Amino acid sequence: MISVRTIRRQALTAVIWVLLAAVTVVFVLPVYWMLSTSFQASDKLFSLPIEWLPSVLHTENYPNALSRAAFPRYFLNSLVVSLAVMAGNLVLGTLAGYGLAKYRIPGLRVLLLLILCTLMLPIEVVIVPTFLVVKQFDWLNSYQGLAAPFLVDAFGIYLMRQFILGVPTEYVEAARIDGAGELHILLRIVVPQCLPALATLAIFSFRDSWDLFIWPLVVISRDEWKTLPLGFVRFTDDYVNSQTEQMAIATLAMLPVIVLLVVLQRSFVRGFAQAGLK
Amino acid sequence: MWRLSYANGIRLWGGLFVAPAVTIFVIFKYIPMAWAMWLSLSSYDLLTPPRFIGLDNYEGLAKDALFTQALENTFTYVIGSTIPIWIVGLLLALVFASRNQYSVWSRVWSNFFMSALFLTNVMPVLVAAVVWKFLYHPAGLINEILRQLGVARIDWLTDQHTAMPAMILVTVWRFAPYFMLVFLAGLLAIPRDYYEAAALDGAGVRQQFRSITLPSLAPVMGFVIVVSVLLTARIFLMPFVMTQGGPGGATRVLAMYIYENGFTYLKMGRAAAASVILFAIVLLFTALQLRLFKEAEET
Repeated sequence: MISVRTIRRQALTAVIWVLLAAVTVVFVLPVYWMLSTSFQASDKLFSLPIEWLPSVLHTENYPNALSRAAFPRYFLNSLVVSLAVMAGNLVLGTLAGYGLAKYRIPGLRVLLLLILCTLMLPIEVVIVPTFLVVKQFDWLNSYQGLAAPFLVDAFGIYLMRQFILGVPTEYVEAARIDGAGELHILLRIVVPQCLPALATLAIFSFRDSWDLFIWPLVVISRDEWKTLPLGFVRFTDDYVNSQTEQMAIATLAMLPVIVLLVVLQRSFVRGFAQAGLK
Repeated sequence: MWRLSYANGIRLWGGLFVAPAVTIFVIFKYIPMAWAMWLSLSSYDLLTPPRFIGLDNYEGLAKDALFTQALENTFTYVIGSTIPIWIVGLLLALVFASRNQYSVWSRVWSNFFMSALFLTNVMPVLVAAVVWKFLYHPAGLINEILRQLGVARIDWLTDQHTAMPAMILVTVWRFAPYFMLVFLAGLLAIPRDYYEAAALDGAGVRQQFRSITLPSLAPVMGFVIVVSVLLTARIFLMPFVMTQGGPGGATRVLAMYIYENGFTYLKMGRAAAASVILFAIVLLFTALQLRLFKEAEET
């Protein structure tokens, strides 16, 4: 016997799945449109009716688009800066997170508060004086100038500290009694237990740096130092460039973050669930 | 020569570990903020040395209709986008949390849908802005769909009334899936026994939601509120790319005002004054939402 309640519950479940699928389609549609457009023939600008699947895959849009400007160079610049920012966040965030979690530093509370306060000073707020600081260092139009202000972030420190707080202090002390040095303890005992948090930090710091826009806009004026977003905006402003080629660059610009996400996926999901917030 | 005691030696290591991060914050956050406050009291155009002018910059801001408009736009944008972000994020998270308890298959499908939704978050903001600019185009995909539904064409980004809502829609689309994950992490951390006990006591779904889910989510809510406001208050890229602040300044937000004054008109002093105001708004708001800080002190 199937009771009315079971039927009602199953119907409800079905409705929820359908709604969820519909919402997902709406969210994914722009991404799909970008991908599909990047393979369309360039003469089909705003062609009607909408062609959801390109009848012929026009892969030539990609090499054509890349050759229109110094895109390989922009990609390289963005990669160098984002990898540097990611490395900086991993190293400095872990060091600071460890120091704040496992050492009785005098004035710990004030220090924590000061670090969290920097969350209220995003680059948009301090853009003018940060520009002047970097100008003082003579770092305009350089990788240092692009990356330095972002090498560490309060979120990263907070994430690492929360995670390291969960590592039993007994491990640290036992190693210390065995005569292990402090750096050795950090590298051999604490870091291997923080891989999920490190994966999360790697993805977010890379993505945020890949996304940087206002900062490169003010520190970079020479074409050879432009990051991908700057080069891309210039490209989209130029109405000569076809929509299909713009979407080809857009698709390529999305790739590095996706690759990183796929590589680190497993750890990322765990890290996000465990330490994303407390 | 003095020697460190063993305990102080270890403490010193702790300090050493924190020092590089603190140094970077001092150089790139605290000194700039102090500098901004001082600059906001000066007139400076990068070419001639700064000149102290007292509160003139702030007075100038108060009289500048563009600034008042930017301030209003920022408030509209922050409130208009954060609230839908919370609602959409929480609703999606609730659905996924409930799907997660069922069969392996429903978990596989949940993961599939979740990854698909997270795509919007992987897309660089700039790419999102460019793609949506095409979608909003008078002859773009959205208007084509509207046409097929028999609705008149809307000039999304060039009409004063629709430009801001259009940008808010993109923002919700971009950020709601991230906050969905945050909410979901919070939901999955609630022990299942609470619900089982409540069900045994005869509590219905609605009552369980009100007396277990919502209170358990309070810390997560605090996090989400603070972070989403911080994220939206600093918005720059989307209006810069999609509308250049137009039409008629309808989407010029504070960060754009700061950028234009500082780097287009070289009015560094006035730009600094505007950034002090933006900082004050963010600070005021976060102080109201002390939760993040209270928690940091407790742990």
